[in-house]
Amino acid sequence: MKSISLRRRSVAATAIISMVALFASTFPASGSNTAGVTRTEIKLGTTVPQTGIAAPGYSKVAPAMQAFFNYVNANGGVHGRKITLSIKDDGYNPKLAVSKTRELIQRDRVFAIVGALGTANQKAVSTLLRQNRVPSLFVNTGFSEFADKGKYPFQAALFPSYMMEAKIMAEFISSNPDFKGKKVGIIMQADDFGTDAQKGFTQQKFKFDKVIRYPNGQQGEADKVDLWISDLKAAGFGSGDVVIVFGVTTATAAVLSAARRASFAPQWVLGSVGADATTIAGINPLLLGLLNNSIGASFLPDPSDVSDEYIKLFAEINKTYNKNVPFDFNVVAGMNTAMMMTQALHAAGPNLTRTGLMSALERNGKDFYSAGMTSLGYSTTARVGYNGYWFGKYNARGELKPINNQVIIYTTDSGNGAVTKSDKITRKPMPDKGLPK
Amino acid sequence: MMKNSSRKKGLIRSFFSLVLIAGTVTAVAPTAAQATPVCQTVAFVTSCGGVTSDGAQYSMTAAANFNGTVFIYSHGYRPWVNIEAGKIPTASLRGGYTVNNLPQPGPLPGGSTAVIQSLIAQGYGVMGSGFLRQGWNAESAVKTNVELIGLFKKTFPKTTKVVAWGESLGGFITQALHEAHPDLVDAVVPMCTVAGSIEASMKSAGDALWLLKTFFDSSIVGHSYKSGDEGRQQAITDIQKIFALAPQIQASLVTGAWPASSGAVGKALASIPPRSALLLTGLAAGLPPQSNSFDGTTGPGIRDSADYSRFAIAASPALAMLENVIEAGVLGVLVTHDLESQLGGAYFDNTATDYGALIAEERVIFNLGLSGEDAIGAMLQVLGTAAVAPRWKANPTAAANMKKMLTHKGVFAKPTIALHGVADPAVSVGNMQWLIERAEDQYRKDVADNVRKVLKGESTDRASRKLLAVINPTPDEYTTFNGALPVSKAPGTTTGTGHCNFTTAQYLAIAQLAANAADTGRIPSAAAANRVLRKAGNMFVDRNYFIPLQKFYASAE
Repeated sequence: MKSISLRRRSVAATAIISMVALFASTFPASGSNTAGVTRTEIKLGTTVPQTGIAAPGYSKVAPAMQAFFNYVNANGGVHGRKITLSIKDDGYNPKLAVSKTRELIQRDRVFAIVGALGTANQKAVSTLLRQNRVPSLFVNTGFSEFADKGKYPFQAALFPSYMMEAKIMAEFISSNPDFKGKKVGIIMQADDFGTDAQKGFTQQKFKFDKVIRYPNGQQGEADKVDLWISDLKAAGFGSGDVVIVFGVTTATAAVLSAARRASFAPQWVLGSVGADATTIAGINPLLLGLLNNSIGASFLPDPSDVSDEYIKLFAEINKTYNKNVPFDFNVVAGMNTAMMMTQALHAAGPNLTRTGLMSALERNGKDFYSAGMTSLGYSTTARVGYNGYWFGKYNARGELKPINNQVIIYTTDSGNGAVTKSDKITRKPMPDKGLPK
Repeated sequence: MMKNSSRKKGLIRSFFSLVLIAGTVTAVAPTAAQATPVCQTVAFVTSCGGVTSDGAQYSMTAAANFNGTVFIYSHGYRPWVNIEAGKIPTASLRGGYTVNNLPQPGPLPGGSTAVIQSLIAQGYGVMGSGFLRQGWNAESAVKTNVELIGLFKKTFPKTTKVVAWGESLGGFITQALHEAHPDLVDAVVPMCTVAGSIEASMKSAGDALWLLKTFFDSSIVGHSYKSGDEGRQQAITDIQKIFALAPQIQASLVTGAWPASSGAVGKALASIPPRSALLLTGLAAGLPPQSNSFDGTTGPGIRDSADYSRFAIAASPALAMLENVIEAGVLGVLVTHDLESQLGGAYFDNTATDYGALIAEERVIFNLGLSGEDAIGAMLQVLGTAAVAPRWKANPTAAANMKKMLTHKGVFAKPTIALHGVADPAVSVGNMQWLIERAEDQYRKDVADNVRKVLKGESTDRASRKLLAVINPTPDEYTTFNGALPVSKAPGTTTGTGHCNFTTAQYLAIAQLAANAADTGRIPSAAAANRVLRKAGNMFVDRNYFIPLQKFYASAE
């Protein structure tokens, strides 16, 4: 009967609408897999300190990413789409990182976040990312918890974890005959960044003669930093003793400034995220003299090593697309991040979705080519980026050169695995023009 | 030091200004118990007054162009005890407060009757009671409102639609009326509302008071107030002590010195700036880290300077918390005293509270403001040490009675439009999130029920969402400086901060949406709502806007 059949159709239509509505309500609209993606564009966003205490140095990371994406766009984009990057200044302030990430997701409607920076900042935004189901890839931090897919389902870190770095640093110092019998102290940021490192040192049963912990931001108070140095001197530290600085570059610069004032010259060992020479020189050129002969760790090649094919490409892109800014670790890090994001977007295929992007990282991430000197650990169960470092000494120009001209790669994990050493670099050769095929 | 140390004055204006002028909109003063309203018509406007059967005063008004839709308003919390002149240094209370049962038929932004007058001029009716008892009175207020709706319909027989709206406690009453008597209302507007249970909000208040006492002044009573006038005096003295702490904590930003009243705790934590303890207090209680004067994100001078960053990251959230703690603390004391008298003793219990868990996320975001992990660890250690930080244990009878208080079920029979400022210090925006989550649960259940019915071949009505949650945001940056010194703003200056700090235009936009919803039986689409809201300014609807739940509910999940 007509009326019944119409009613049934109406009922069926209602059911379909209801089911659609049910799923629509289960997955928030901004979690839609096509947000930020059009036929011609992929809209990405990032939050980084463009101003404030951590801006010197770090403010170069996002423009470097932008430059690499512009290079990719000039070469056809990804599956025919241009990549655009919305850069938000979070001032290295976690509260601001939350509001700026909210802007990226809800106002700018970005598809994904890339290369966002800072442990505390990225922990702070994790709830927001989870709530909106927005991927944040290649987070510029080494906080080991970001490898936990269950806890941070939409974030994937890039750096080796700070725990790995600490384990490796402990091994490097313990096994170095030059440091036998020397005092070892550490100045470290008293938050998750430092706490993560502390776990690594503890794992290696590494003992310090002096530990100075400071809240991030205190490096801006010269009188407080002077106290750190006088505490070290009071503890008997002098020339030849080892002092690790495990903080951001502005903290390293502040420590070196205070050491210069106090004529304090131990053997500095600088953490990987806190020793960008151009940043230090930008703060005070005289500090380069103190940086000379300091030991540093890096997972990327030395930016001054023009024989490195990745460095060569990035330097060219820097000239053409990045106003030829001073070429340093931050520029290399930004371009390397963008290079990996380009591959992730490419691997996710032409029908780009957020879940597809996360799957592509899990499926292909460990095989992405990159400038990094160690392998990548992305998998279906973990979001681990690089897994190791090489050590070098800074010269008077602020260039990190391999100790005894030999690159030794130290690798480990964020657990109780051993630290291994190798003089073999397993990096994949760069494809033509550095673009994914 | 703050440039304007009188900033604290008037911070609680939003509660008490309403009380003091409420009577001015009542055209006909009620006399003794009157079964029927006494009305008079002046210039085509008919105003009626009277008392309901329980003795609550009311007023109701409609003009000759009455269009059949009436707004019944429930006012917010009014103190249930008198406060003598000169006891509390706010503009509205300096002259004293006498318990006020006068009816209030609509919101009074900044003390103005413009909203009420505009609604009447547009052809709407308005009504409201003063309720019989002040203090927390949700249960009796619902009964009063039920009777009042009947009285209005009888007096103005053209009535076809009823929109129930209210603020704060009045929002709670409004939603409770909706849940108990959905047939009596056609649209519902809980604004800056307490939602779910008063227990949830009082957990935050209790935590704030206990932390203030523990960190800064062990002589604060905070709970277990005595009965009678002695208890009233204790509560007033507590409020005075909270006000007295403000300049000392403010001064500590420069000196780093703990208030003398902080005693052993101050000595134990001497190396940690008191501002960090204040920030921890506010964060654990779920207070917003931005306030009327402080956005919590900017500093003086140029952005690249260390001074800018230090102020933005460390000082600004603490100063914001100072403004907020005063506002929340005053209300917290008054309501605690009130509820303890109703429930038969102390109901708040923090013997099992893990303050570290309460700030698990915030300690990351505000790490520098809290002076780093070592300082946080030291403060939490003090809070866990019974000798210096004895916890408060509830009276079992009072705690059981608290559980019997009127609560919301979180059901929505009629279109509901909620409005909340994101940095409301007195009633957290997390209350609105509770409504949002319950409404989404209901919507999903309705959809699932429909699917089941369809599969059985039964007809259904299309499931639709019943709640429109309107967000009143703060500007991104609004702290102003005179050189390096922050400038205090007059209370109510910054949209999105303060309690029920809405403008006439905002109230009227919400009223317009509610009246339309009452007519159509549906909430408007987000796009349609946003057109109206944007015109009024500083309001929007976005279902994907993330709002953290109130601490009480978040920790219960």
